[in-house]
This record gives sequence, C-alpha cells and structure tokens, in this order.
Amino acid sequence: MNLITKTTILYLLVAMLVFGIGGVVTFYLVQKEVQKETDFALRDNLNQITEEVAEGIPLSFIKRGKVDITDLGPIPRDTFFNFSDTLAPHPYLEGQMEPYRKITAVREVNGRYYQVSITDVFIETDDIYDVVVDIMLRLFFILTVAMLFFSFLITGWLFRPFQKTLERIRSFNLKEEKVLGLPETSTKEFRQLNAFVAQMAYKARRDYLSVKEFSENASHEMQTPLAIARGKLELLLETSALTDEQLALVQSAQQNIDKLSKLGNVLLLLTRIENKEFANNQKPVDFSWITRACLENFEELASLKGLALSSQVEPNVQIMVDPTLGDILVANLVKNAIRHNVAGGWVEVKLDADKLLVRNSGPAPRVPSEQLFERFQKSRHSDGSLGLGLAIVKKIAEVNNFQVSHRFSDGTHEVSLLFHP
Amino acid sequence: MKLLIVEDEKALSDNIRAYLSRGDVICETALNFEEAQDKLLSFDYDIVLLDIMLPDGNGLNLLRLLKRLQPETGVLIISAKNALDDKVQGLELGADDYLTKPFHLPELNARLNAIFRRRKFQGYKILEFQEITVNTDTHDVHVDGKLLVLTVKEYELLLFFITNKNRVLTKQAIAEHLWGDNVDLLDSFDFVYQHIKNLRKKISAEEGADYIKTIYGLGYKFSAD
Repeated sequence: MNLITKTTILYLLVAMLVFGIGGVVTFYLVQKEVQKETDFALRDNLNQITEEVAEGIPLSFIKRGKVDITDLGPIPRDTFFNFSDTLAPHPYLEGQMEPYRKITAVREVNGRYYQVSITDVFIETDDIYDVVVDIMLRLFFILTVAMLFFSFLITGWLFRPFQKTLERIRSFNLKEEKVLGLPETSTKEFRQLNAFVAQMAYKARRDYLSVKEFSENASHEMQTPLAIARGKLELLLETSALTDEQLALVQSAQQNIDKLSKLGNVLLLLTRIENKEFANNQKPVDFSWITRACLENFEELASLKGLALSSQVEPNVQIMVDPTLGDILVANLVKNAIRHNVAGGWVEVKLDADKLLVRNSGPAPRVPSEQLFERFQKSRHSDGSLGLGLAIVKKIAEVNNFQVSHRFSDGTHEVSLLFHP
Repeated sequence: MKLLIVEDEKALSDNIRAYLSRGDVICETALNFEEAQDKLLSFDYDIVLLDIMLPDGNGLNLLRLLKRLQPETGVLIISAKNALDDKVQGLELGADDYLTKPFHLPELNARLNAIFRRRKFQGYKILEFQEITVNTDTHDVHVDGKLLVLTVKEYELLLFFITNKNRVLTKQAIAEHLWGDNVDLLDSFDFVYQHIKNLRKKISAEEGADYIKTIYGLGYKFSAD
C-alpha cells in the first residue's frame, strides 16, 4: 500500500470518528434548542389561554386536543407552572406512543383558579435524528470523494519529484560515472532528501573506488617485489656449484614466496567480492557447463591422488551469477573435496536446478561445521592449503543469496549449495 | 630473438634480462611509457614484454600504438593486477598471451618462445635437441626419426624442457607449468616425478639418451653434458 492510500484511509477513519461524535453532539444541541423553543411556545400558548379565560370564553371552547383545562374553584392555591416530558399517542400513527413536551400550570383568573396543561411537539426527536444522520452521511460522502480526488492529484503532481528520486535511487550503479540526476523541486523536504541522497551516492561511489583502487595497487605493490625475489632465486639457481644445503634453502624460500603471492591474491579476491565489484555483472550462467568443465579440469589431479571422481550433472541448469565468481565457486568446492580427502577416497558431485552437492570421503573436521567457512581454518593434513577456500565460497554465496552448509557423518563430508533458499 | 622489456620496476626488468640473455635473446629495456614509445617508434622487435601498469601511462595504449606500427610483433602482457578485464581487453587488442606476476622465469621463457614460434615461419616450428625433434604445429615428437607417442602432459613437459635447456627447473616451476594455479592441490611434487619417469622411459625405449638430469631435492635440468 503506498503512502497516499495509507494517509487517505487514515484521514477517512479519523473523519468517520469526528463525524460520529459530531453527529451525536449536533443531535443533542438541536434537540436542546428545539425543546427551548417548544417551551417558549407552550408558555405563549398558556398566556393566550389565560387571556381567553379572562375574556370569558367558555372552557369547553378552549379545551382542544392539546389543551386540557379544569376549573378548580375560588379556593386560593399556589399558582405555578412546570415542564415535563411525557408520552402520548401519535396523532396519525395508531397505537404508537411518542415523546411530547407538557406544560402544567395553575393560574388565577378573576379570583378563580384553573389548572391548565398543554401537550405539544414542534419537531419530533426521531425527525431530528434522521436529519442529523442524513447531513452527516452526505458530508462524509463529499469529504471522501474530495479526499480521493486530492490524493490522486497529490500523487500525480506533489509527489512527482519524490517518485523520480526513488526511481533514480533504484537505478543507481556504483560502477557508473554518470551523475544521479535528481529532479528539481520546490518542496523543502524533498530538497533535503535529494541533497542527502546525492551526498550518500557520492560517498558510496568514492568508497567503492578507493577500495577498488587500493586492492589494485596493493596487488601490484605486493606481487612485483615477490616477482623480483622469485626471479633472483631463479638466477641464483643458474649459478653453478650450489651445495645441496643451499639448494634446499632456495627451494624453501621459493615455496614461501609462492604461498605469500597466493595469499595476497586470495585476500584481494575476498576484498573485491566484498566491495561488490562483481555485483553488476550478473547474467544467467550455465552451471552444468561450468561444473562439467571444472570436473574435467580436475580429473587428472584427482586420479593422480588416487581419488575416484564421479558426477551426476543435470543439463541446462541456469543460475544468475557473475561468470567469474561462478567458476571460482565450483572450482573451490571441488578443489576442497580433493584436498581434504583420504588415500583411495572418492569425490561425488551432483548438480540439479536447486542445488550443487559435493560429497567426499575424508577425515573428521577438527572444528564444528560452521567454523569451517571462516578464514584461515585449516585441517591438519594439507600443508599446502591457505584455509581460505571455503571462506571464498561463503562470501560468493552471501553476495548471491545462495545458502551453503557443511555436514559430516560416517567419514563423509557433504557441502551443499542451495541456489534458491 | 629481439625482445623489448617494458617494465617500470628496474629490479624485475634486470632479472628478466639477466635470465633471458643467457639464451639467444637480445634484450632491451624501457622503464617507462615515454622510453617504450621512443623505442617502439625507432626499432623493430620480435616480441614486446609489456607491463600494463606504468607510472606515466597505461600499457594498453602502448599496445594499441604497437599494433598500428608493427602488427607482426608479438606481445606478452605481464601484470600484477590479475584483473580479468585487463586480460580480456589486452587479448582483444592483439596481445598474444598474458602472464600474472609473480611468474617463474622459465615459464616466461617458455611463453616467449611459444609466441616467437607462432609468429615466425616454418623453420622455427621444429625444435631440435640432439636426436630429439619436436614439431610444435603437429605436436609430433621424433627420436632418431622414430615417432614417440606421448600424452599431452608429457609433450608439454618435453617442450618445457627443450625451451629451457641447460637451465635449472624447479619442481614447482614444472608443476605450475603443467597444472597452473591448481598445483597447490598436489601435496608433494611426486606427480612431477611420475611424468618425468614416464617421459624418460619412452625416450629411452627408442634408444634416446637420458638428458633429464636430476638435481637432488630441487628439480631437473635438461642438458646434453
């Protein structure tokens, strides 16, 4: 439900409440006024009757439907008048009682006392009720129509800059250089919003670029000295007459240079994934093809390690992902299964539209399953491992909304990757 | 082979020159964009070794210039960026190959030779080493005129040895040449040994001499001495 619909409905609910209370108040005010006027009229009526009696018009003439008059004789008594509510039969509707206003009085005319009572009604209570309800309903109807009309107008005109801003934010791309192009508006709140959005966009882009630039420079600054060191060692090997001991030292230094170089690359890859540098390159990728290519790639290495590699790959599994990350994801899972294995073990890969399952034989993990996906978690067996393979898998899964989990039972590791959790 | 090394890091440039000059490569170096541009405008090279990240310009622009001036010159890009965009863009602009820092010098040598062979005429496509001949077009290997049947990996291994003859090759460099980045899956380098054993066996079966010398604990050297 959008903002305008919501406010309209809220306004109408409040209006309904106000009109309800207003109706009740109006009803009582009108009723009070009517009663006051009725009482005035009744007193006028009483005075007129008194005059008629004084003029000597016979009582039987004066006595009409609404007026009752009784001669009480010359014995002195208190004169008074009072009003009361009473029920009397409806003049037209047979057998229906209706509230009436009644004045009762004792008057003295020419030494004789008379008791007079007049019962009358000018506007009936249920008529007042009907009219008030009618007025309220009409007003409410007019208000509703007006509100709907105005909300339509507001969305169309007043909120247009806001809609445009939203649209621009939605199409915002960190990697693109072009300005956001927020609409001009005379509304103060929208101007503030636009200024804020523009500032955030600028900051996000600047942060993105600085991380990107840093990772590129860090890579260059780190790998170049490593390349130099490795080259020097290779030149050293070319000089003749190194002893076995010296050769072993060179060998060890080289291995560690390799390790450092790989570590740098992997950490930078993690940074780049975190920086969403791959986020805008998502396209449908044929995972079946990736998986088969990957398995083919690792077939020789698996057989060299004496592992049986089997697979069940459903054809034409299309997943939205950056192609590079897709490759890295599958390769890391298969590599991991090959690395953390036992002599004469096996690796099994299953792919269908929902998930990728990689199962392999292997020793029990040293840490709980969840911790395996953390950085620098190494098993005791493979010394060549950096302990970052599964951390990369997890990071890629995270940015693509996949779900990855690990299970170990009966000497079998199972890593499952759900594409649509 | 005449080579121009465009690399801003002098120590790395020196390494490459020192290593390659021992073979039959004539190396010249350029330490920045300007210098490289001058040299490319003045001289002809067989291959240019190009670092993309230069302090005073983008190496890809040099590549564009070179392809306009001397389209027949081979180009090997070296970069530390390991950014796929650069790789794809470089290859699209006409570079022959792409190598990520840090690389093994024998690997660099092998790649340069492969580019050189591809760019030159027939005579360069047959490699000869004593009684062994390798046709890099048909992938046929002959020992004393007799055809040797090798697996893909054994062929690559032999080619790597011959292009790096008389040089020390560590097991690491060999393993990386054969298996690329996935070499870290191999717990030890025994697998290199397996392939070398098979290659030796096949060559000696055709009465070829054993040129693969073992350097204990470190690697191998392919030489006739």
